[in-house]
Amino acid sequence: MERLFCDPRRCVGCRACEIACAVEHTPSKDLFVSVLNRELGPPRRRVQTVGAQPYRVAIGGVVLSLGCHHCDPAPCVDACITGAMHKEDGQTVCDTDKCVGCWMCVMRCPYGAITPKVKAIKCDLCPDRREKVGRSRYACVEACPTEALFAGTFEEFQRVLAEPVTAVWEGRQ
Amino acid sequence: MKKTQRFVIIGASAAGSSAAETLRRYDPTAQITVVSDEKITYSKPLLSYYLAGKLGEEQLFFRAPDFYERLGIERIHARAVGLLPEKSTVELSDGQKLKYDKLLLATGAAPRFPKVEGIHRDGVFGLRKLEDAQGILTRLPKTKRAVVLGGGLVGLKAAEALKERGVDVTVLIDSPHALSQMLDESSARIFERIFEQNGVTIRTKAKPVAVLGTKEKIEGVQIASGEVFPCDLVVVGKGVDPSLELLEGTQIRKDYGVCVDDYLRTSVENIYAAGDVAQARDVLRGEPWINALWPCAVEQGRVAALNMLNKETIYRGSMRMNSVQFFGVPVISAGLAVLTPGPLGGHPGEHDETLEAQPVPGIYRKIFLKDETIVGFVLVGDVEAAGVLRILMERRVTIAPVKDELLELGPDLGRVLPLIIENKERFVEREFQELVHTVGV
Repeated sequence: MERLFCDPRRCVGCRACEIACAVEHTPSKDLFVSVLNRELGPPRRRVQTVGAQPYRVAIGGVVLSLGCHHCDPAPCVDACITGAMHKEDGQTVCDTDKCVGCWMCVMRCPYGAITPKVKAIKCDLCPDRREKVGRSRYACVEACPTEALFAGTFEEFQRVLAEPVTAVWEGRQ
Repeated sequence: MKKTQRFVIIGASAAGSSAAETLRRYDPTAQITVVSDEKITYSKPLLSYYLAGKLGEEQLFFRAPDFYERLGIERIHARAVGLLPEKSTVELSDGQKLKYDKLLLATGAAPRFPKVEGIHRDGVFGLRKLEDAQGILTRLPKTKRAVVLGGGLVGLKAAEALKERGVDVTVLIDSPHALSQMLDESSARIFERIFEQNGVTIRTKAKPVAVLGTKEKIEGVQIASGEVFPCDLVVVGKGVDPSLELLEGTQIRKDYGVCVDDYLRTSVENIYAAGDVAQARDVLRGEPWINALWPCAVEQGRVAALNMLNKETIYRGSMRMNSVQFFGVPVISAGLAVLTPGPLGGHPGEHDETLEAQPVPGIYRKIFLKDETIVGFVLVGDVEAAGVLRILMERRVTIAPVKDELLELGPDLGRVLPLIIENKERFVEREFQELVHTVGV
């Protein structure tokens, strides 16, 4: 199954993925209209600095963008008392109509990838972009200016990691 | 040709359903039978939402109503009344005898009623089955005042629901404070105040001695001091005990619940147990325990099913944890250090350091440490970081390098990722391994 990965060598921590994600999940899907209409919810992935103080120096200030891993088996699905959180073609999906906000999933998710905000909010792999292909299939991937975000299988992503980092414009020629 | 396996599951709640689903996922041809004394499969933790009127009956299904039918699983509405392991047979209340190759006991637990005078009067309810909630709702038009016995999660959720239905509610709690099996005293006081602010009376150190009334009518509850709390309805929320009736006359080893090994096998061949009835590995206690909680039951159901399919799978163990919301304020707690010894002699864990913060009013965080590892935590108001703290506790990771930032922890796994990389052998899940590999590049 296709999932999202972040290449920490490319991620500069610009948080464009966070904004794109929040905007994608508004009715207008437009940054400025969604701000005006107060439609913006929490982003479903977040840019994070790896390590607390002593580590930041040691690891060299690595940043990366993290969200739901769509685990199998998924601890959040086990935890859900309503059946809202469920698996669908390998994806972990929350049916927010069924969610009652008990936060059992938040307690169980070891990645902190679920935001408790009235309903359980998490990466849904952009269902409104199902028809799109390439980098525009996912809002965060499309928005990533350094192409740190990658959509594919982990095996494909490993091949990316095995390659040296090339400048983005080189890849676009 | 491979012989068709016959699997029988007793119980159709969290553990039973999860096991049935798993069996079918990996064995499309097996004959799977689920026996339950309840007509429909619904989510017990949602009963208080139903009682409060927030959910209708059709919203209590955690799987589609045709779940069993669609998976080709036979669901029998009957009670399992006899178990004959030497004949690999289960006897049902309707006279049927079911033969099995592998059997799963997922019989769950039943509410514990205090042994006081009048406790079996009409108008005294548990809140464990749909019929309990329906019984309470039927009486509601005649109910002005209710007494809830027990200040645990179920008791307080019932109190909240009744209050939202316009009933005057008093909660009588034996222990020195509410939620003594979930929270330490100072965290519990926050919720006692929230209940009082919402008009629910909380009385601690109040031991009920009698439910007063006539045959038709409840009149009140008397406590040890002699004081009487007048009421028309009593709800009992004093915990549950595993349902072990089916074990009678068998060699299946039991302690408080059914004893199971790390593969969730009972002491008798081809019989497994999962859910609130199973006393399984506990990662914090170092001795088997029952953590009667939905997520644990679902996971155990799946692991038991995998082992019934001869797909050897170790159960990693559960731990004490819970998540709940009262009057809109969420709380998640986990670990033993947060416990106070309760009427059942709870097992509080030791700690040598407490981190505590109240960054803004309404948000309270507390983390208990022992030898620089997390042994318990309570998050009130903002619970976002709970899963990350929980996994660090479960995998017994030394948090010394991030201690100063632990209380500020948002949902960012990033900050503690170096701890996970350092202890990567304890994070065997594929997703963690991928992350470790990614950052390690």
